[in-house]
This record gives sequence, structure tokens and C-alpha cells, in this order.
Amino acid sequence: MSVLAGKRKRQELASSLSATLSNEERVVYNIIRGRKEMGIWQGDIKRETNIPDSLMKKSIKMLLAKTLIKEVVNIQNKSKKVLMAAEFEPSKEITGGEWYTEGKLDTQLIEALSDVCMKLILRQKVSTREGILDWIRKVGTEIFPGGVSAGQVEQILKVLVLENKVQEVNSTGFGDFASVPAGEVCYRLAKKTAVGVKVGAMASFPCGVCPRINACTPDGVISPTNCQYFEKWLDF
Amino acid sequence: MATQYGIKFAIHLITNHFGNLVAKVCENLLRHGPLTLDQLIHYTELSKEQVKNSLLVLVQHNCAQAFVPEPEDDGSRLRIRTEYMALFDNIIHRLRFPKFLEIVSRKLDEECVELLDGLLRDGRLTLKQMVDRASQGKENAVATNAVREILCKLLAARFVERCPAPEPVVSTSFKETTTRKRGAKSAKIFEAPETLEQRVIFAAVPGDGIRFSLTPDTGSNVDGETNSDDAQMSVEENVEFGAEEEKILWRANFEEFIRHLRRKVLVENVRAQHDDGTATVLNAVLEATRTVERKVKMDNSVPLSLDTIVTEVMKTDTGRTMTIDRIRASLGQLGCSQRMIVDDSYSIDLKKIIERARNEEVESIVLKRYGRDAYRMFRLLSRDGDFHDTDQIAASTLVEKKEAPKLLHKLWNDNYLYMEKIPVTGARMQNTSITMWKVNKPLLWEYVLDEMYHAALNLNLRMAFEQEKDEELLNVPKDKLKEPGPLQKKYKRLLNVWLLLGSSLMKLDDALMLFHDF
Repeated sequence: MSVLAGKRKRQELASSLSATLSNEERVVYNIIRGRKEMGIWQGDIKRETNIPDSLMKKSIKMLLAKTLIKEVVNIQNKSKKVLMAAEFEPSKEITGGEWYTEGKLDTQLIEALSDVCMKLILRQKVSTREGILDWIRKVGTEIFPGGVSAGQVEQILKVLVLENKVQEVNSTGFGDFASVPAGEVCYRLAKKTAVGVKVGAMASFPCGVCPRINACTPDGVISPTNCQYFEKWLDF
Repeated sequence: MATQYGIKFAIHLITNHFGNLVAKVCENLLRHGPLTLDQLIHYTELSKEQVKNSLLVLVQHNCAQAFVPEPEDDGSRLRIRTEYMALFDNIIHRLRFPKFLEIVSRKLDEECVELLDGLLRDGRLTLKQMVDRASQGKENAVATNAVREILCKLLAARFVERCPAPEPVVSTSFKETTTRKRGAKSAKIFEAPETLEQRVIFAAVPGDGIRFSLTPDTGSNVDGETNSDDAQMSVEENVEFGAEEEKILWRANFEEFIRHLRRKVLVENVRAQHDDGTATVLNAVLEATRTVERKVKMDNSVPLSLDTIVTEVMKTDTGRTMTIDRIRASLGQLGCSQRMIVDDSYSIDLKKIIERARNEEVESIVLKRYGRDAYRMFRLLSRDGDFHDTDQIAASTLVEKKEAPKLLHKLWNDNYLYMEKIPVTGARMQNTSITMWKVNKPLLWEYVLDEMYHAALNLNLRMAFEQEKDEELLNVPKDKLKEPGPLQKKYKRLLNVWLLLGSSLMKLDDALMLFHDF
């Protein structure tokens, strides 16, 4: 549908509706629709009109019943539900973006997509972003009924790099890289994946991960001689 | 400049090795900077004799250096006042003696290890003292020539050097500018100024020609290099050679050992990040330029042509299988791209490899202390080094928007992040501000280093505590400990505790070097 056609349709819809709406309902509806995909909080409507509280609440109820408007969860403040005209899709600011479902981070989706990416990279040893996207679109339609965008795959790869599970490298064209032209950006598993991230010197004994290290002194209340973490660590 | 816990740890080591008096003198030198004998007596409230003897111990063990400040105007020229400064790095090196010995045992032979062990134990020795030491407990005295030969081997490998000049004259006039710089902690670029310590050390070190030469008469060192300045000095020293040889004091060359350890870390990190081939190439490049390196903290490797690199790589067992294309690809992985190469010479960015290793160490602390979400956010900020706002960080790392600010504040509270609030002025947003975060690496690294010294001190204190707790065990005859029973159980536990604490300390020391010496 072209933008123009959509606009015309909405205008027709609005004019046909105006006949069936009360005055207050029309005012409220116009305010809500005016905010487009950003929507508006009930309290803010009150500030913009001088309709009495009870009447406004009734109007909103009616508009919801007629499915002209809908309630959307606002990621910024979940208790402040946002009202939006039915024909708009809530904006990223409201939903939190494509990773959010009903105002919550969709960790299941993230985990599933990470898993699929890791599995493919493990199998191919070296993969490109396009390769992964093609593969998911070919075989992953069951796991991802909503489909997966190129942006989503890109972001998952970035997160996997941040988690140090995957490395972003330029292909050398040799060995494992043979399938990818030299110089092209590709992804492979980080070396240490089998045992997790390399544990540093500090992180491998209590002081390195101690939440109270700033309060610990040789002769203080917390000290290495009476430290409970040491006690546990050295309990053979 | 040593950090707060760095100084505490150094004092702890000195107390353990040389007792309280020496530690008291050392502590004052570390905390106040260079002091004269009178000042030291004043600060320590010890007798002149005690301070003098403590200083002698510190100098003998290369933990302090005397110097004479260059007179600033004519008026003060009449009174030359020797000042003493503690050498913080050398004190901490005492922790690493087993590592130094291990290097020599790998590269040279057991005789060299024995000689070096003597030098590490006694600090400084003349050839005659070395002979006496070697002869101890043996029926016949060891021949001087035999010991001289071993010393020669150590000198050729630069593991041993001549002791520095006892009291070099050093200009201290730059002092004011450096102290001011040190105060500017908020400065974003943290350029380490040349410290007085570095100046004194530099002034005291003899020229390379003399530093590693066994005999003062030839003016050439064991590498066969000659240096006209040094030759000049040698002529003067040549008078009465026999007596001179008696006087020459030798000591372990810590710099060379640290260089060795740094090279190992560089190669092993490259191996972990890339592959064996790339590690082989880096090792060959570093091996070939070993004697040309001027200092330990080289930012880039000495430029070499591809031909030279190929020749060097093929000298090694693992490199023999590599083709030129493969070597070139490895150089590419090390960051030498075709475009960067000027006049066909390759230079590898070593600083970047060290930085990567430091990042890994800090990140692993963040992961363990704050969890996976914080780890992702920290890595995002650490990798790009710029300011990001909270929402942006949450979105890029897929962290729940409400959780992100909590974790970021925690990291900031513990000094792992740097934060700035930027006020936003708009019609509808009054009194709001955007919080921006970033990783300020120079500041963070200094902080982490201090935490590491703190942790090292804790490990040491715990070791002492465990030993004290089970002191009676050490007085029990060995046979009794072999019999099964509560005593044996206790003894086994103590051994395990020692092993765990000791190995953790050695591993932590690797990290200390990574952040301080490399």
C-alpha cells in the first residue's frame, strides 16, 4: 500500500467514524491519532483537553471497545500504558525495538538465534554474515516463524563477538578461510570456547573477584587472615 | 610511580627478606622519594649506624641506588650531598627469582644456574667471591678459570652485567614539571613522564661495551662490538688489570630477564589468538632483533625485510614447513598490512598485543565479579574507547534496559568505568541529564595494577598465616608425618595450601609484569 493510499484510507475511515462518535470521543481520538506511532499516556490527554475525568475515561473505554485505539506497553515505564490509534505500529522507543516482546527483552529469541549462529559457524568453521542469514532463512523458518532480519543477525553476531564466543576476522584465504575470499570479514569460533573464556590470573583466586577488596586491609576487620573466602578456597 | 599497594607489597617483601630495620628505611625512601642520609635518620628515627647498614643491604641487593644531584647554581657546589632512592622494580623482581633461574636453566646449563643463583642470593659478587662460593663444601677449590668461563656464558647471553656506577651525578632540575603532571589525574592522555628513577638508572648504567665485558682491557664486549667512548674508559681502567678484576662487581641483569618473559608472553598470546605459524613468525622476528632492542617496553618490533624474516623463520624447526605466502599471511594477521609497509620492511605492533592481553585480564575479572551482561557492556566500551549513553549500551549488548544502568553504576562504583553526566536542556525535559560511560584505560590499568598488588600482598600474608598456624608441624620429625593419622592429614593439607597459594602468586606475578613491566 502506498503512503498516499494509506493516508486516504485513514481519512475516509476517520470521516465515516466521526458520525458514530460522540464529541468527547472524537476529541480524544484525534489527540491520540495525532501522536501517531508514539502514542500518548492517559494523563497527558487530560492535560491537553478540559473534558472531565469521568467522561474522558468513558470515551477511552468506548474507543477501545470500537477497536479504534489500542493499549501498548511502554518500555520506558511499564505502569504508564500508552494509547495509540489502531492503525499504527508502536515505535522503537515504546517497544524497545525488535528484541522486545510486550515490553520485555525476548531472551528466548536471542538465545535461539545465538545458538543457531554458533552451530552454523561450528559446522562451517568460517562463515560470513550473508552465509548465516541465507542459511537461517532456508532452514530456520520453523524456529523463527516471525522471520529474521539481516539487522538481527548482524546484531547477534556482534553480541557473540562481545561475549568472546566468536571472533570477527579478515579472511586470509588459507586453510579454514579457503571458502571465503581473502580480505572479506568473516566469523569463526573463538579459540577458548571449549573451556569458556580464558580465566585471568586475578579471576582465578578469591581476591580477584572479592566484592569487599576495598575494605580489606592487613590488620583490619576484613583481612587476609580472617577472610571467609580464603577459608573456603583453602578447605582441602 | 608505584601505587599505594605496590609500595605496601614492596615493603612486605623487604621485611620478609631483610627484617624490620631495612624495611623501615626502604619504606621511607619509597614514600618520600630520594633522601639524604640525614633526612633518612630524621624520618626513621634510627641511629646513623643502623640507617647506614640498612642502606648498604639495600644497595648490595640492588634495591637502592645512590646518586649525586647536579648542583643547580654555584652556591651549592661546595656541598655535595648524596641522595638515596629505592628501586621499586628491583624490589618486586625478588618475587621472580625462580622464573629467572628457570630461563637460564632452559637456555644455558646447570653451572650457569648455580652461578646466577649465587648472584640472586647475594645481590652483587666479584669473580673471587663467585669462586669462593662455588668452592664451598667441595674438597678442592674450583679453578678461577672455570668460573670465569661460566660467567662469560652468562655475559654473552646478557643475563649478567656489571654493577652500575655507585654514585652517578644526575640533573634533577626537571622534577617540578613531572610532579605537576602526576597530579593531573583527570587528563585523558596519560603520558608517562621520564621519572627521576629512570634518569638515575640510565646515568648509572655503564655503556653496553663495558656492561657485558668480562675484561676491561679490550674495550670490546663479548658480542665483539666496539664503542669508542667505552674504549676510552677501558684504557683508563686498564692500569693494573689484575687488581681491577678483583674489584669488578657483577649482578643479574633483570632487564634481560624481563625482556625474555615479555617475549614469551607476546608469542604465547599470538599463538592463542591466531595459530602456531603466526607465533613462529613473531618469535623469529623477535629472536633476530634481540640484541638491537634498546629497551624492554618496545612498542614496535625492529623493522625487518621480508627476506630476512623468511630466512629467520626457516631457521627454526616449526618454521621450516612454512612457505613465503604463509609467512606473509601470518605477518598480515600480526597487523602488517601491505599498505603500511614502507621500503619493504615489516614492523609488528607489539604494544597492541600487550594491550590485548591486559584487556583479557581485566575482562575476566569483570566477568567473574559482575556477570555476563556486565562483561558484554564492558567489552563494548573497552573495545571502542569512546563515550556511550546508557540506552545505546543496553541496545547494542542486548541487556534489559532496566538492568543496564544498575550494572553500569556498579562497575563505575568500583572504578572500572568512567562516567559523565551531560545536562539536557529542552522545553519538556527539565533537570534531566544523559549519563555517558567509557573505559578510561590508563586510569583503569593503574587501578587494576594496584588491586593486583593488594591481592599479591594478601596471598603472601595468608601464606605466612598458614605457616604460623601449623608451626608445630615443622618441628615434628619427618618420619612421624609419614604415619597415617591426624598429623599426616594436617601436613598434607598444609602442603596443598602452600601449593595453591604459591602457584596463584606466581600466576598473579605474570599479570603484575603484564601491567607494570611489559
